[in-house]
Amino acid sequence: MNLGFWLRWSWRDLKARWLQVVAIALIIALGTGVFAGLGGQETWRVESLDQSYERLNHYDLQVDFADGTYVDEDTLSAALSAIEGLNDAEPRLVAATLVDASTDKEDILVSGRVVGVDVTEGGPYVDEIHIEAGDGRSFTSEDAGQRVVVVEKKFADYYDLQPGDSIRVSGDVSLDYVGTGTFAEYFQIIPEDGTFSGEASLAILFMPLDTLQDLTGHTGLVNDVVITVQDGASRAAVATAVEETLAATFPEVGFEVTMPEDDPVHHILYSDARNDQDTWNLIGALFLIGASFGAFNLAGRMVESQRRQIGIGMALGVPRGWLAFRPLLVGAQIAILGTIMGLVIGWGLSLLFANLFKTLLPLPYWGTSLYLPGYIRAALLGLALPLVATMIPVWRAVRVQPIDAIKSGHLVAKGGGLSWLLNYLPIPGRSFTQMPFRNILRSPWRTLLTVLGIAMAILLMTAFIGFMDSFIATLDQGEEAYLYQGRDRLLVQLDTFYPQGSERVTDIVQMTDQSGERMFGETEPALVLGGKLSQGTESIDTLLELHDMQNPIWVPRLIDGELRGDMPGIVISEKAAEDLGVKVGDSITLEHPLREGEMAFRLVETEIPLVGIHDNPIRGLSYMDMAGAAAMGLGDMTNMVVVTPDNGSDATSIKRALLVQPGVASVQAIGEFADALEEALEIFVAILAIIQGIVLLMAFLIAFNSTSINVDERSREFATMFAFGLPLRTVTRMQVVENLLIGILGTALGVVLGWLALNYLLVQRVEDQLEDFKFIITLSPDTLAISVALGVLVVALTPLLSIRKMSRMDIPSTLRVME
Amino acid sequence: MIELKQLSKRYQMGSVTVTALHEISLEIGEGEFVVVLGPSGSGKSTLLNMISALDTPTAGQVIIRGHDITRANRQQKFSFRRDTISFIFQTFNLFPSLTALENVQFAVDMKGNGARPDSAMQVLQAVGLGERANHFPHELSGGEQQRVAIARALATGNPILLADEPTGELDFQTGVQILQLLESQAHSGKTVLVVTHNREISRIADRVIELSSGQIVSDGAPQEGKAPIAELHW
Ligand SMILES: Nc1ncnc2c1ncn2[C@@H]1O[C@H](COP(=O)(O)OP(=O)(O)O)[C@@H](O)[C@H]1O
Ligand SMILES: [Mg+2]
Repeated sequence: MNLGFWLRWSWRDLKARWLQVVAIALIIALGTGVFAGLGGQETWRVESLDQSYERLNHYDLQVDFADGTYVDEDTLSAALSAIEGLNDAEPRLVAATLVDASTDKEDILVSGRVVGVDVTEGGPYVDEIHIEAGDGRSFTSEDAGQRVVVVEKKFADYYDLQPGDSIRVSGDVSLDYVGTGTFAEYFQIIPEDGTFSGEASLAILFMPLDTLQDLTGHTGLVNDVVITVQDGASRAAVATAVEETLAATFPEVGFEVTMPEDDPVHHILYSDARNDQDTWNLIGALFLIGASFGAFNLAGRMVESQRRQIGIGMALGVPRGWLAFRPLLVGAQIAILGTIMGLVIGWGLSLLFANLFKTLLPLPYWGTSLYLPGYIRAALLGLALPLVATMIPVWRAVRVQPIDAIKSGHLVAKGGGLSWLLNYLPIPGRSFTQMPFRNILRSPWRTLLTVLGIAMAILLMTAFIGFMDSFIATLDQGEEAYLYQGRDRLLVQLDTFYPQGSERVTDIVQMTDQSGERMFGETEPALVLGGKLSQGTESIDTLLELHDMQNPIWVPRLIDGELRGDMPGIVISEKAAEDLGVKVGDSITLEHPLREGEMAFRLVETEIPLVGIHDNPIRGLSYMDMAGAAAMGLGDMTNMVVVTPDNGSDATSIKRALLVQPGVASVQAIGEFADALEEALEIFVAILAIIQGIVLLMAFLIAFNSTSINVDERSREFATMFAFGLPLRTVTRMQVVENLLIGILGTALGVVLGWLALNYLLVQRVEDQLEDFKFIITLSPDTLAISVALGVLVVALTPLLSIRKMSRMDIPSTLRVME
Repeated sequence: MIELKQLSKRYQMGSVTVTALHEISLEIGEGEFVVVLGPSGSGKSTLLNMISALDTPTAGQVIIRGHDITRANRQQKFSFRRDTISFIFQTFNLFPSLTALENVQFAVDMKGNGARPDSAMQVLQAVGLGERANHFPHELSGGEQQRVAIARALATGNPILLADEPTGELDFQTGVQILQLLESQAHSGKTVLVVTHNREISRIADRVIELSSGQIVSDGAPQEGKAPIAELHW
């Protein structure tokens, strides 16, 4: 007996079952493909981030001054230049503004942030601006003092803006839009409250420093500085030196020296890459498990169908090794085919994701090259799985006594299995109505493998939908918390603190339109401050708003405690209370700015009683009554005016009017929250669509395989039915019912497991990356129902694909065939 | 009841033409018990397949109860089989996932004639398997399985019973019992066609149609004379 003979034989086996082999190989391929394609994502994402930060010469240290603080540029530069080990220090001015980028087609009026960078010597050299070819130009030293602007790319892309388009900022200043660029600190747009990416509602602009100083009236002043450290110098040592120097130079000023890791954007980009990888690995593993069930199912049945032949071979004295060789070869063929297709799928997936990332996260450098170890690992798994899946039944088959093997299919599932269950579960109707139930019960293992395979697919789908739903539910609640009252209010941020009765503030409050009508119904001067909540060793950033809780346009809605205007105290989020381990009545430490002078704030810590818990899931939001302002040196001051439109004004007309109003930094309609939310979900929706497609394909393939094997195995039964005159329609209906049952079982199991996986995923993620939310873990019944219906339908309808095959069945031959 | 006119069946296998049946003409009346005899490959099964409309002839006509079924469309053939023909196979072809009783019930259900629930049981009892009603096929011996198959065929109540080598898988004693059972059906008015390659078995019939290479070589009483089943020697 030579190898060629066996190869030919198994080649015939393969041809006889090519569709099943291809289907099972495709299942394996989906598993290995996900594994291969997504296995190296962390590697290339981290590598791209490293490279991108490197290329833009990202800072080593940044000095974060307390809100409202400005220091003299020259004094700052002089003080820092003396520090040993410091390579470069670039003072910057960062200012809030309103941006009007309206085009002929649409009104684009959003809040913005302008970063003034030093261009006098051809800079900036720390945190450079990256401009792709075709996106215009960067600054030159000639731009110093000129009204030129570079617009951040995600915002520009979102609204389809190009250099040359009109850009206006607060004070109704028109700027010359020269380029569209990316900037390390804004690789991702995270608004101050740390909630979601908001490129649609937050415009980042870059301007020459002196131009911005001019426009804001902060001549010679800066409020930000980025520093690089010399090669070989200790970053920590330089940080300490910077701290000491600044403390000595500006004794009244509060500041913090931070490192790139402290930047939420930096943190999220890296931790996303890591966490996403965990998710991909989990998904890859689940796909592979599903594929294994499929492979195991097919291989087992294939071996069963050859069992008699194996027995005959044994009787003829063929060595067991040779007998095992034939089915194992089919396993090998599946393995090779599956792995090759898997690598192709993996390659396709990585391209897909690379493109997705390139569009949604424009970095100066994207290295999306193949991650070889991931592919090798996936290939090895793809090869091993089908082989093992074949090996087990083959091993069982060649171990039996030859006589048992020859005897009409020794281990072939043919008997009752769990059919006896039906005695206790009478199903009404004719015997062929009952047949599907019996078929499912008569070979419980087989049913289980199919059910498990489908369950894996549905599990993934459920987990993903749940992930999305939970995200939406959480943000919906956030929206509801903002909007339950004062739906149409706008938040007018001032460029600094003003006395409530000052001209700047009254001018805004009493603003009128062209016909002299007042634009605002109600107005409320308020305060918004960055700070930190802490208790023991736990500490979290907070955005503290002070409102008049007695006479409100909007007040936070509490789920615990009560709002009392007369009692100074703080209201924090549920998540913050959990993380800090505090409850209403406890007192917590609030680090907040304390006003020391016109433009100088010091950070101080104050013990404050916790009087309430609000219902916004965003952890960082805290609220206090305006009465608390005095304790911060801000009595009767305001830096944010809350207004409601009146006399026919709306968000657009108000923004437009405020653009020319001095003292206004930005205006945001509270409803814009919802727009930003949709943006944040964009990437999710895209990924979800890909996964859902793969999952449905997988469920279909598993169902298809099992059905097509059923048709083969039961061809004699079907032929007998046909001989008795049972119509094809009825026989197909039986198959559909059987698949429907399997689909329902698999889907039900998948949903339950999916829910568990969802909780696991979210709990895992909440630990790290989504710490800023009080997550509402939920599965929306609608989406769930749709995908479940889809899953069940796909499985139930696969038998229709066998109709052709069945209608062409050669009944006499099928009836005659001995097993 | 059954009338074949110039019936031929040829299989084209590449360049080779296999003639399974060649211009067969015959008539079988109601209530007849006929044995079709011939060596393996002589065309016996093909003949049955033509009568049952499982296969279409290359030429000629099959007329059953006055209807030319060779002209029937697919659906008509299905309902013709459902209403007229009952099968018994050499390899039993019971549904493995159904019990003996349910296999019989299947045939009752097929007809959809609202049969009384006990009728399947009655038929099963008639073939002597009332005791084994709740056993699955793999729990029954070959003879018992074949009796279930006969009960299933009878339960349809169809007038024509076709049995292709029904004793082929069985020992002598069991085979005899099966034949007796089939013969008794002819007595109760059904037309029964039994196919065999065993000349001895053919002696139980009043009429033996002998085939060779797809042609009828004789048609009439058994050559060695009709013998009671008890006297057969296999
Ligand atoms: N589907 C088929 N394709 C080709 N030849 C066939 C087919 N079915 C039967 N034959 C041939 O027709 C002849 C008669 O077969 P059959 O009716 O099965 O014989 P019997 O039942 O008498 O043993 C044989 O030579 C057989 O090889
Ligand atoms: Mg035959």
